[in-house]
Amino acid sequence: MIQENSSKIVCVMPAELEVITRMQPYHMGLAIGELKKQFVPSMAGADLFVRSGKRNEFYIIVNENAEKLVLYGRDIMGESIVEASDTLGENELVILLNSRLEAIGIGRTRFAGRSILRKGKVTVTTLNDAGYYLREEG
Amino acid sequence: MTLIFSESAESTGLAARYGYDRWLVSRFLEYVPGVQDFMEKMERPPTQYIRVNTLKTSRKELEARLRSKGFELKRTIMPEVLAVEKAPIATGATNEYLFGHYYMQDLSSCIAVDALDVSKDQAVLDVAAAPGGKTTLIAQKMENTGSIIALEPNEKRARAMSFNLARCGVYNTCILRMDGMHAEQLQMKFDRVLLDAPCSCEGVIAKDATRKTSHTPQDVDHCANRQNKLIEAAAMMVKPGGILVYATCSFAPEENEIVVDRLLQKFGNIAVEPLKYGSSGLTRFGDLTFDSQLKNTRRLYPHIHDTTGFFIARLRVS
Repeated sequence: MIQENSSKIVCVMPAELEVITRMQPYHMGLAIGELKKQFVPSMAGADLFVRSGKRNEFYIIVNENAEKLVLYGRDIMGESIVEASDTLGENELVILLNSRLEAIGIGRTRFAGRSILRKGKVTVTTLNDAGYYLREEG
Repeated sequence: MTLIFSESAESTGLAARYGYDRWLVSRFLEYVPGVQDFMEKMERPPTQYIRVNTLKTSRKELEARLRSKGFELKRTIMPEVLAVEKAPIATGATNEYLFGHYYMQDLSSCIAVDALDVSKDQAVLDVAAAPGGKTTLIAQKMENTGSIIALEPNEKRARAMSFNLARCGVYNTCILRMDGMHAEQLQMKFDRVLLDAPCSCEGVIAKDATRKTSHTPQDVDHCANRQNKLIEAAAMMVKPGGILVYATCSFAPEENEIVVDRLLQKFGNIAVEPLKYGSSGLTRFGDLTFDSQLKNTRRLYPHIHDTTGFFIARLRVS
């Protein structure tokens, strides 16, 4: 729901603006994230960025087994990560990708650099995932 | 007023055999061709369809991905719609579904949107829009351009719709919590208006067998009264030269041809345009005779067209 003073960032078409200024929409455009201390992408936002080629340096790619777990909201073990950008620090927001480079979730790193690949440890916390649509809708 | 017909040996026999109210079967014999075939079809699960979301993928890509998981798919008369002939897992539980690559949607709904004939950069009003299947299809046909105003008064349904819009990557749509009867408050006119009106749902008995006995002639009257008000409100929102598509998932003429006929009589500037798919609409029912243009409306029957039961009218406002 769209609320006044909301920190949501929404992608809208110019033609919708006329309605938005006159009416109070329940929903408009595509909520691509929230601006709090930093910009936190939504699932739809992550998907849009990835599709537009804006993967940048904040991503990790997980294997097929981890993909299934992420879609149930589970965190990520180091050995499940098949690729991660080199520049990741600790407590960094990352877009979680599957092997087809599709956005499957948003996560936060627990370790910096190559430590993110550490075996036997959860190294990325899953904050949001594509399974959320189904869980929330149901 | 809902017309009631005399019971016959055929109507009482069919009603008893398939578990329907007798008044309903007496009526079906007046407007459903091949009633026994229809009732047999209603005993079987309906064909499941998925609609490819071309905002996120292509039909070819989706077919390849689902087939690799063991799905058997068949192409249909609509290029973006596939019939699911075998599903090794629930169709709503695949990763492709979660990523918004497809929407589970009956072929009839897609035919209704096709009748709207939308194009890029248009302004579209979708009355009674939730849960958003038709809205997301309109958005993909418009390639996420222009604007869609979707009306849905119920908060729970509006919420579900907002999830579907996000999942499908739609960004040209606003949802307003508004009853379609108050659409004039928008103070706008639209190139296209879709009214898939709330109805008695006679066409979805295969999905909900309680419909065999759960509604009464008074319910049909109630729906028809509301539909008459909604279609008038919707017609007022169309730009000159624009199109209003009126649809229901009912077979009842009181909810379909009679509603459109009444609109034609009341508004002198509306013409019923022909459509490609389906059987011709009725031009008479009981003692009633309708405007000859009503033959241009379309009826989709489960046992003939392999869809849910549907009525579609494309109305051009001059």
